[in-house]
Amino acid sequence: MNFRYFLLILLSTFFLYVLWLPKQTLIRKAFVLCFVAGMLVFALNPDLSTEIANYFGIVRGVDFLFYLSHLTLFFIAFVYYLRFREMEIRFTKLARQVAIDQAMNLDLRSPD
Amino acid sequence: MGTNQTIDSRVFVIVRAYNEATVIRDVLRQLCERFDRIVVIDDGSTDTTAVCLNGLKVILLRHCVNLGAGAALQTGLTYAVSHGADWILTFDADAQHRVEDALAILKLLQSGNCDVVFGSRFLGTTINIPKTRKVLLLVARWFSNRMFDTRLTDAHNGLRGFNRKAAALLDLTQNGMAYASEMLRQLKEGNMIIREIPVTIEYTDYSRRKGQSSLNAVNILIDLIMGRLMR
Repeated sequence: MNFRYFLLILLSTFFLYVLWLPKQTLIRKAFVLCFVAGMLVFALNPDLSTEIANYFGIVRGVDFLFYLSHLTLFFIAFVYYLRFREMEIRFTKLARQVAIDQAMNLDLRSPD
Repeated sequence: MGTNQTIDSRVFVIVRAYNEATVIRDVLRQLCERFDRIVVIDDGSTDTTAVCLNGLKVILLRHCVNLGAGAALQTGLTYAVSHGADWILTFDADAQHRVEDALAILKLLQSGNCDVVFGSRFLGTTINIPKTRKVLLLVARWFSNRMFDTRLTDAHNGLRGFNRKAAALLDLTQNGMAYASEMLRQLKEGNMIIREIPVTIEYTDYSRRKGQSSLNAVNILIDLIMGRLMR
């Protein structure tokens, strides 16, 4: 039971933190808030997760949350992969432009 | 073309190099005897590759960090196209390729019957090819042909030729070795005519040491699948 209160405090704090974060975009903020709010609901009413799990053919609510967190983590990893790829492409273009701008004619340099 | 004659200045040869100080000067000397415009892409080498080129009639482009073979190729293509190249050859810096093969590729390109020419070690000769590498290349060949509906025997050979139209079409975003399949896709989508020509590839102790690990094939596959998903 103590752990449940601890979880509630932790999630509530995170909820408020995200709510007041100034630099987050609206969609990202909404996503995180929905996620945290969902976790809060499940922490307050554990039977709800079992009901939803049963609806999807899963026996235990905790298993349902386990699968859900895996999907969420996969989604987050995918989003970060996309962002990494975009940055990689931008960085490559920058390095390419610098290389082209600073191209050297080596026969003009002193021979060995 | 006489044996001592250099090719006209509309032909660019792109040589990608990453820590090739041991062999690159000899490779470039051979190329300089026949080609007028040689562009070396130093892909963030940490050895003396760039210093080794002093005095040679080449143009050096340096990536400030190591980006990968695909990125280096695209840098070379971008440079060549923006500097008036009509025909572009790519040649590896690790002494695996032969200048005669590059000339044969150029001849076929200049005949105007195709847009791209790939050198094929499986139509030609391979000297001292490691067995694992051969198996890997055959798997890659099967995979590429299935994926892009082609009948090529060696799409992963570094010795290639492009006309201006094909080179300008390419916009490679795969920095690593997965660029070869990405290139094939872009060429196919652009309806480029691709031909193959037999070439000789000699695997020396040096090139075997320098070559990528066979396990890297897994990374290439992941890059390809992700690249495909991202489109």
